[in-house]
Amino acid sequence: MRSKTDKILLIVLLVSFLTSLYLIFAWAPQIKASNTAEQIAQKIFYYHVPSAWLGFLAFFIVFLASVAYLWKRDRRYELISVASAEIGVLFITLVLVTGPIWAKPVWGIWWTWDARLTSSLILWLIYVAFLMLRRYLPDGSKRANLSAVVGIIGFVDVPIVYYSIRWWETQHPKAVMASGEGSLDGDMFIAFMFALATFTLLYAYLLKKRYQLLVLEDAVNKQFKEMEIL
Amino acid sequence: MRAALSILKKDLRMEFRSKESILAMWIFSLLIFVIFNFTFEVSRLVMLEIAPGLLWVAFIFSGMFGLNHSFSVEKENGNLRSMALMPVEGGQIYLGKFLSVTFIMVFFEILIFPIFIIFYDLQLSVQMFMLIPVILAGTLGFTSLGTILSAVAVHTRNQQILLSLLLWPLVSPIVIWSVNLTGVVINGEITGSFYPLLIRVGAFDVIFFTLAYMLFDFILED
Repeated sequence: MRSKTDKILLIVLLVSFLTSLYLIFAWAPQIKASNTAEQIAQKIFYYHVPSAWLGFLAFFIVFLASVAYLWKRDRRYELISVASAEIGVLFITLVLVTGPIWAKPVWGIWWTWDARLTSSLILWLIYVAFLMLRRYLPDGSKRANLSAVVGIIGFVDVPIVYYSIRWWETQHPKAVMASGEGSLDGDMFIAFMFALATFTLLYAYLLKKRYQLLVLEDAVNKQFKEMEIL
Repeated sequence: MRAALSILKKDLRMEFRSKESILAMWIFSLLIFVIFNFTFEVSRLVMLEIAPGLLWVAFIFSGMFGLNHSFSVEKENGNLRSMALMPVEGGQIYLGKFLSVTFIMVFFEILIFPIFIIFYDLQLSVQMFMLIPVILAGTLGFTSLGTILSAVAVHTRNQQILLSLLLWPLVSPIVIWSVNLTGVVINGEITGSFYPLLIRVGAFDVIFFTLAYMLFDFILED
C-alpha cells in the first residue's frame, strides 16, 4: 500500500520537522524571562499549541465523517472517523503532557483546575470514551451507527464545555495570535506558523496511514470469515 | 405522542413496583452525605460552600440509577427489537424513555432534598423556591443526554461503566452551571447574572433534547 505520494509526504515531513526544530531552537529569539528554565520551557509552546489545534481539527473531522456516515452509510466514513478520533486523542494527550512540563517551571505547579486545562481534560475524556465505546461493541453497522451518534453529540458538546468553564479565571496565557500586548515577535511567529503547518501535515499523513491500515484490517477480517465458511 | 406516553406509563409502573430498589436508592443518597461529611471534615462555612456540589452528586447518582435501568430491562427481555419495530418515529421512543427517566430522577430529588436541608441546616426562605427551576433545568439536561447515551451503552458488555464514561464528560457543562446556580440560591443573593445563566441551561437542554430526538432513529436500527 506504500504509494508514491506517501513516500513524498514522508520525506517532506522529515525535512519540515528538522527545519521546524532549527527554527524553534536556533532561529527564533529567546523570550525575556527571569531564569533560563523559563526560557527553555517557552520553547514547548511551538509544539503545545499546534497539538491543541490538531486535536480540534481531528475532532471536527470525526464530526464531519460521522454525519457523512449516517447520511451515506459508507464504511469509509466510519473508518475515517475512527482514525481521526485516535489521532485527536493522541494530540490532546500531547497537549496534556506538554502543558504541565511547561507549567512546572513557570507556574511552579504541574496542574491546576484552571478553565483551559479543565476543558482540555474533559475534551480528552469525551473522545477516550468514544474510542472505548467502539472497543466494547462488536463490529458491524450497529457499532458504526452508535459511534457516529456519539461522534456528533461529542463535537456539539465541545464548544459548550469551553463556554461553561469560561467564567473561571484563567491563568493560562492568552491567545498570543491576537495583536496587541503579548503578541508574538515576528521571527517567533514565523517559527510558530511553520510548526503549525508541519503538524497539520503530520496529521494528514497519520490519517492517511491509519485509514489504510483500517482498510487492510477489514480485508484481513473478510478473508478470515471466508475461510471459516469453507 | 401516545407511544411515548405508554412507554412512560409502563416504565413508571415497573419502577414503582420494585419498592426495594427505590428504598435502596434513597438510603444510598443518604450515605453520600454521610460519607462526604467524614471525608471532608470542614467547618460549617466551608460546608455551605461545597453543599451545592454534594447535592448534585446525590442527584446524579440517583439519575444514574434510572438511566442504567431504562434500556437494560428492555434488552434483557428482548423488547428493544420490538420497540424498534413499532410503527412510530424513533424520537417517540426516546421521548417516552426521557420522560420516565426524568420522572424517576425528579422523584428521587424530592426525596433527597429534605434530608439535604436537615443535614446542612439550610434556612428556608422564599428564595428557595428558585431552586425548583434550577434543579429542573439541570435535571432535564442530564436526562436528555443520559437517555440517548444509555441507549448507546446498553449494546455493550460493560454498559454501566461505559454510560458513566460517556455521560459525565458530556454533561459536565450542565452540571457545572447547575451547581453554580444552586450555590447562588442557597448562599447568596440572586444577582443579575442569575437569570441569563438559568436561561442558558434551559437553552442547552433544548439543544441536547432536539439533537437526541433527531439522532435516536439511528440508534434503534440494526
